Amino acid sequence: MATSEAAGEAFEQLPAALLATIMTKLDVSSMRSLASTCTVLRSCASQILHFLPNFHLLDVALSINFLRPLLPPNPYLRSLKVDCSKLDDSSIEDLVRPSLHDLSLHNCSDFSGKLLSQIGGQCKDLRSLYLGCVADKRGRAVHISNLEELLRGCTELKTLSLMFDISLFPRYNFARAWSSASENLTSLEIGYVSSVMVTELLSPNVGPNQRPDLLRPPILPGLQRLCLSVDYITDTMVETISKGLINLTHLDLRDAPIIEPRVSFDLTNASLQQINQHGKLKHLSLVRSQEFLITYFKRVNDLGILLMADRCSSMESICLGGFCRVTDSGFKTILHSCSTLYKLRVSHGMLLTNLVFLDISATSLSLTHVSLRWCNLLRNQAVISLASNLDLRVLDLRDCRNLRDEALQAISTLHKLKILLLDGTDITDAGLTYLRERVIGSLVSLSVRGCKRLTDKCISALFDPSSKQELQELDLSNLPNLSDNGIFSLAKSRVPILELRMRQCPLIGDISVMALASMQVDDDRSHGSSLRVLDLYNCGGITSLSFRWLKKPYFPRLRWLGVTGSLNRDMVDALARSRPFLHVAGHGEELGTDHWDGLCMHDNEELDELEQWLLEGEDDSDDEEMEDVENNGEMVE
Amino acid sequence: MITLRSSDGETFDLDEVVAVELQTIKNMMEDRCAESVIPVPNVEGKILAKVIEYCKKHVKSTAKAEEHALSDADLKAWDSDFIKLDQATLFDLIMAANYLDIKSLLDLLCQTVADMIKGKSPEEIRKIFNIKNDFTPEEEKEIRRENQWAFE
Repeated sequence: MATSEAAGEAFEQLPAALLATIMTKLDVSSMRSLASTCTVLRSCASQILHFLPNFHLLDVALSINFLRPLLPPNPYLRSLKVDCSKLDDSSIEDLVRPSLHDLSLHNCSDFSGKLLSQIGGQCKDLRSLYLGCVADKRGRAVHISNLEELLRGCTELKTLSLMFDISLFPRYNFARAWSSASENLTSLEIGYVSSVMVTELLSPNVGPNQRPDLLRPPILPGLQRLCLSVDYITDTMVETISKGLINLTHLDLRDAPIIEPRVSFDLTNASLQQINQHGKLKHLSLVRSQEFLITYFKRVNDLGILLMADRCSSMESICLGGFCRVTDSGFKTILHSCSTLYKLRVSHGMLLTNLVFLDISATSLSLTHVSLRWCNLLRNQAVISLASNLDLRVLDLRDCRNLRDEALQAISTLHKLKILLLDGTDITDAGLTYLRERVIGSLVSLSVRGCKRLTDKCISALFDPSSKQELQELDLSNLPNLSDNGIFSLAKSRVPILELRMRQCPLIGDISVMALASMQVDDDRSHGSSLRVLDLYNCGGITSLSFRWLKKPYFPRLRWLGVTGSLNRDMVDALARSRPFLHVAGHGEELGTDHWDGLCMHDNEELDELEQWLLEGEDDSDDEEMEDVENNGEMVE
Repeated sequence: MITLRSSDGETFDLDEVVAVELQTIKNMMEDRCAESVIPVPNVEGKILAKVIEYCKKHVKSTAKAEEHALSDADLKAWDSDFIKLDQATLFDLIMAANYLDIKSLLDLLCQTVADMIKGKSPEEIRKIFNIKNDFTPEEEKEIRRENQWAFE
C-alpha cells in the first residue's frame, strides 16, 4: 500500500487494471500524453489499445503512419470515429473492422467508393455509419455499385449518414440499390440528392423499367428520421415522403435553389397540408437556404401553415427557414396548436413581429430552444415575452437589428441559458452588464458579432474575474471599437475560453495575441491559454510580431487559426510547417465546424450533444463497457 | 450490525445495509456465518473511515435510509466535496475501493484522476503526479515524435 512517503510514486504503482480503468476515461489525445510520461504508463497505454471499446479522434487529422500504431488488432473495438483528411484507400484495412457497431469517418475526400464496398463487405454488425465528403477530390468516384454493396452488406444498420453528393448516381438504379437496405434502418441523412431521385425512390408506383403489374415492396419501411439536402423542395417530394414513410418522426429538408423555382417545382400550401399524414411527426424542419440565390418559399402563406398546424399538434420541434410570406397569424397558430413544442426556429421571418409572442405566457409552452434569425420586425417586447420561458437553453437572435438593451434585461432572468447569439443587434456595453450577475456564469457560448456599438468596456461589463466562468466560446468579430485593451482585460479575467473569434476587428493587433498567449487560466497549466480556435482574420493590427507568439510553446492547445494569408505569407507558411497539426485558414473561411448554420439535423445533434455534455458532466461510460474493459484488463494482467 | 477492523486495528461498526455496498464484504458475510468482526488487512483506518463515509451516503434507499436520502443533485455535490483529497489519500482510496469492490466509488475516483490528466502535456502530468521520467534519451525522442500531435 502506498504510504504518504511513497505518494510520489503512487500513480505508476497502481495495478495495471486500475491504470487501464483510468485510461479508458480519457480521450485519445490525453491517453497519448499520459503514455509519454514514463515506461510503465507507455506500456499500459499500448496494451489498452488492444481492448479499447471506443476510439474517437476527430479534432486532429493524423496520417496513416501516426494512426496505424494506435489501431492494432482489437476485437473489442465497437466505436471508431476518425478525421480522414490525411488518409486514402490504402487506410481502409486499418479502419474497417468486423467488430464495429459504430463507424464515423469524416473528410474522406481522398477515398473512392471502394470504402463503401469494403464497409459493406466487412462490417456486418454495423449499427451506425457516418461518412463525410467521400470522393470529393478530383479523380475519385463513388459508383452506385459501391452503395449497393454497402446497403446489402450492413444488414443491421440503423443510422446512416452519407454526407456527400449522391445526386449523380444513375436514377434507374438508385431505387433498386435502396431496396436492399436493412429493414432496421431508422435514420437516414444525405448530403446532397436531387428531389426527383427522392420522389422516385419513395413512390410506390412502378419504376421506368418494371412490369406494370408488379408493385415494389415499400422502401425504407422503418424509417423514422429523414434529413436531406436537395436542389428544390417540391410539393411532389413532400407529398411522397409524407405518404410513403409511415413511421416518420423527424423530417428535415433543406434546399438551395440556383434559379428561382417554377411553380411545379416548389413548395406550396398544397403539400403542407399533407405533412404528418400518419400522425407520428415530432420534428419538422423546412429551410430554403440563400447559398446561391436570394430566394424564399414565396408560394406558402398563412393558409398553408394553418393547414399544417392542424395536423401537427404533437410536434416538439419546428424549424421554418425562408417563409417570407407567413405573418403573425401563421406563427401564432403554431405556438397555440403545438402544446408540446420545445424548439422553435424561424429564419427570414420577414413578417414576424412581437405579436406572435404577446400571450405566450398564457400557453403551457416551455420552450428550450428559440432561434429567430433575420426577423427584422422583432422588437424588445418579443424578447421580454419570450423570457417567460425560464427553461430556455438556446437563444439565437442573430440579425434582428432592432433589439436593444431592454432585451438583455429580460434575458438576465434566464438562468439555464447556455447559448446566446446576438450578432448584429443594437446592444451596447451597458446592456451586457445585465448578463454579468447570473447568466454569464452558466453560458457556454456567446456571440456578439457585428454589434457595432460595443466597445472595450463590454469585456469588463461581462466578466467578473472573481466569479467562476463556464464560457467556452466567444465571438467578438466585426467590432470596430474593440481594441487590444479589451482583449487584455479578457486575458486577465481568466475565462477558460476554448474558441475566440475576432474577425475583421480593425483595432486588434499584436498586443492581443501576446496577452492571449500568456493568459493563465488555472495554476496547472504552464504556458497559459486553453484556446483551441483563434480567428484573427483581417484584424488591422496584426504584424509579423504576432507570429512569434503563435509558435510553440505558446497556445499549446491551438488546433484552428485564422489569419490573413496574403500578408506575412512567409510567416504563415513557416508557422504551418512548424505546427503540422494546426489548421491555418488564410482565406477568410470560418473556422472549425460551423455549428449554427449546418443542416438543422446537425444543428440538433450538435446542440443536443453539447447539452448532454453540459447536463451530465461528461460521457458516462456504459456500465457494460466498463465491465468489459475491466474483465479484459484482468485477462491481459 | 457488522464490524470491520482495519490493518492498524481500528474498528468500524456499520449496518448490514451499508456493508453490502462493499462487494468483498458482502461475499465474506455470505461465507462466514458467526464471525462478528471482519478483518480488512489491506486498508488503513483513516482510509476505511472514508470508504464507509461514502457508502453510508450512497446506500440504496430502504425504509430507514430514506430519511437520509439525498436528491441526485445533492449527492453529486456531496461527491465533488468528497473527492477534494490529497493525492496520497486519493490513491489509497482507489486501492481500497478496488479491494473492497465498490464499483461506484472506484468509478468516481478514477474519473477524478482522469479529469486531472485531461488536456495536459506530459510535463504537466509528470509534475502533478510526481512521475519520474525513466525513458532513455532515444526512447524520449521516439515517444515525442510519435505523440507530439496529442499535446503539441
